[in-house]
Amino acid sequence: MNEVLESLSESIGESHLVQLPLIGLPNAGKSTIFNLLTGGFRKVSNYSGITVEAARGELLTNNQENVTQYELIDLPGIYNLTPTSYDEGVTVSTLLELGPKYSFEKAIILLDWHRITPSLGMALGVLKRIGKKAIIIINKDDDQEVTLEDRSRLQRALGVPVLTISALNTDLKTLDHFIRLEHPVVEENSIAPLPITPLSASYLPSSLNGHKSLNIIPGSRGEEAVANEIDSNLKEARRILGGLQTSNHQRSILSDKIDKIVLHPLLGGIIFFAIFYLIFNAIYSWAGPIMELTEQVVLMTGQWVGDFLPNGLFKSLIVDALFGGVGGVLIFLPQIMILFFLLSLLEQSGYISRAALISDKVMSYFGLGGKAFLPYMSGYACAIPGIMAARTIPNQKERLATIMTLPLITCSARLPVYILIIGTFVPSYTVFKVFNTQALSFFFLYFLGSFAALIIAKILRLSAFKGDSSSFLIDLPQYEMPSFKAAFRQSWQKGRSFLRKAGTIILALSVLIWLLSTFPRLSEEKVQGHTPQETAALQLEHSILGRMGHTIEPVIRPLGMNWKIGVGLLVSFGARELFVSAMGTLYALGEVDEESEGLRAKLMAEIDPITKKPVFDLATAWSILFFFVFSLQCTSTLAILKKETGGWRIPIITFTYMLILAYSSSFLIYHALS
Amino acid sequence: MVETLAQLKTGDQAKLLDFTKNPSLHFKLLSLGVLPGDLIKVLSCAPFGGPIVVKHGERTTFAIRKAEAKDVSIELQTPEAR
Ligand SMILES: Nc1nc2c(ncn2[C@@H]2O[C@H](COP(=O)(O)OP(=O)(O)OP(=O)(O)O)[C@@H](O)[C@H]2O)c(=O)[nH]1
Ligand SMILES: [Mg+2]
Repeated sequence: MNEVLESLSESIGESHLVQLPLIGLPNAGKSTIFNLLTGGFRKVSNYSGITVEAARGELLTNNQENVTQYELIDLPGIYNLTPTSYDEGVTVSTLLELGPKYSFEKAIILLDWHRITPSLGMALGVLKRIGKKAIIIINKDDDQEVTLEDRSRLQRALGVPVLTISALNTDLKTLDHFIRLEHPVVEENSIAPLPITPLSASYLPSSLNGHKSLNIIPGSRGEEAVANEIDSNLKEARRILGGLQTSNHQRSILSDKIDKIVLHPLLGGIIFFAIFYLIFNAIYSWAGPIMELTEQVVLMTGQWVGDFLPNGLFKSLIVDALFGGVGGVLIFLPQIMILFFLLSLLEQSGYISRAALISDKVMSYFGLGGKAFLPYMSGYACAIPGIMAARTIPNQKERLATIMTLPLITCSARLPVYILIIGTFVPSYTVFKVFNTQALSFFFLYFLGSFAALIIAKILRLSAFKGDSSSFLIDLPQYEMPSFKAAFRQSWQKGRSFLRKAGTIILALSVLIWLLSTFPRLSEEKVQGHTPQETAALQLEHSILGRMGHTIEPVIRPLGMNWKIGVGLLVSFGARELFVSAMGTLYALGEVDEESEGLRAKLMAEIDPITKKPVFDLATAWSILFFFVFSLQCTSTLAILKKETGGWRIPIITFTYMLILAYSSSFLIYHALS
Repeated sequence: MVETLAQLKTGDQAKLLDFTKNPSLHFKLLSLGVLPGDLIKVLSCAPFGGPIVVKHGERTTFAIRKAEAKDVSIELQTPEAR
């Protein structure tokens, strides 16, 4: 259990830079300001608890002459110094680990103007511990409601400098100047240790257990001490603020009006499903034409380049591995970018916490709660941030059940496979006037993965992880108008990392796949008397990968797959996209007339040499799809599972149960359909 | 007799009396800036059988499960509305 926590806390190395931690309530705008000041790309989202790990970045203005070299530390949000989940534990332990008695020179405490009272309560608690080594920034004062007088009154009451800004339209200079301002530091000598309960201490790494700044008090005495601490800070905050927050809050009233509709028992449910259907439909249907265009461009370039090259191995490498393999993956860039664009809009709006609350009841039937909604939703993009986001779930057993089922959620790496197979083999027609069968199949696969995740979570919560649930108390931030610019930035960033992956790992492995499926070459006499078409096929079967494929064929035959698909499945355990690139290479190699058509056409045309029937029928297609829905083919997910749980046990169990699920469901669907 | 937050209906306003029974709930509410004696308004009552949505002060909105809302004792401010 302890190693879990050791691995959760980010270790703080020695650094020549002056450390500047950013402390504030969740959703106060810490990451926004971090990005602004460091040029970083931390995820920003209108939901409390997006940041779950510490990150460091140098100030952009460090490159000026004769200035202090500051390093800003973006931290998860906290409500007070008593952690109630692992992400809050990261912040508290980072502050403690920066040195005995919080020995950083300065800290930025970020207050949220929308929630000024609890913000100030938190600030007072922190100030008490770090001894006035802080500067205070009030963020989200979009309408400049805080007057100069108010500000100097606060400054006097707190004894530290105060700046008010709106991160949405502040200029960097003001912010930077304020941060660099020298101000006398009052060293407080007798700082009372922080009272915390054993439960809160359990969210901190055990190395901090004897820390002299912590006073762990067991039983109701501890609870009382903590409550008293927070209570007195809050009352003090109210006293200082007086009637500061005025009643000009059009946005808040508008927000309530939106909630009336969004949280309406009937309308709200319709909106919930409509939003998510729209997203899936967008990546399936709307992205289709863009994808076909990209595919045409890749095909034509491939052919054009091929025409210049002399026939031979080099041409084969370029055309089959590069254009067939990597190019086959690249065409899914539009889908990836559209997915992240839409998710970013949704996250910025503030809807996610409403969705969490709408789903809380259903989730609780499966032994989870609304807190698991965001991790699961992140899982549609990628399991890795989803697994990390589960840190916000206070209950350890619930958290593990979420983590272990998260890889079942359909991530964006499965997208290319789904689209390739559905687009090729599921006949497209319209049912009930509006729904397209291909889009419905696509939607069904997403549903299947999510439903399986919930069922397995329930099984886990009834067996290995039996126990209480965490409480569910979530704050609902005000709705904000999502910024298209921010969404585009997010989507471009993800698109870029997809391109990078295609250009590195997928490229390298595609070349490897090409090598393994090209060598050893057949001797001259073996190919004599065969047509070029037959020679290509014989050569492929003779290659290392061909032989490997034939070796594993008995294992996958029951799933209705031939050896080429088997090879595709095998390599996809490195990364799912490799299935597409492997199929691209294998099918391009087996062809004589290089690149006359796309992979989809080739798949459809393949005839089984023995049965003389098409290799791919609907049953085989669904068998492949089911395999991808359930199996954990991602080495990075295994690595993050190990990191977040502190051992190999959870990743191994997760991998195994998912493999069993994948194989048996593929087997069943194949035999049901054929 | 309406005595706890869990019994309130959409639109009801109430004064919070005590929520110290459940320590973790107590911390969480204090952390959100809520103190006994404060006024709250129910924005939405258990949509989808789920949590109750509560407005506190001018700008704080939070959701709380029905089971936990039972541990919050209140005094109804608008009895004529019932
Ligand atoms: N209205 C308004 N919104 C802001 C301002 N600054 C940031 N935001 C928004 O507030 C939300 C939260 O911003 P983040 O930077 O993710 O907040 P955070 O403090 O890092 O949050 P956690 O990582 O969850 O602790 C985002 O939707 C931002 O766009 C501001 O000055 N005014
Ligand atoms: Mg953040």
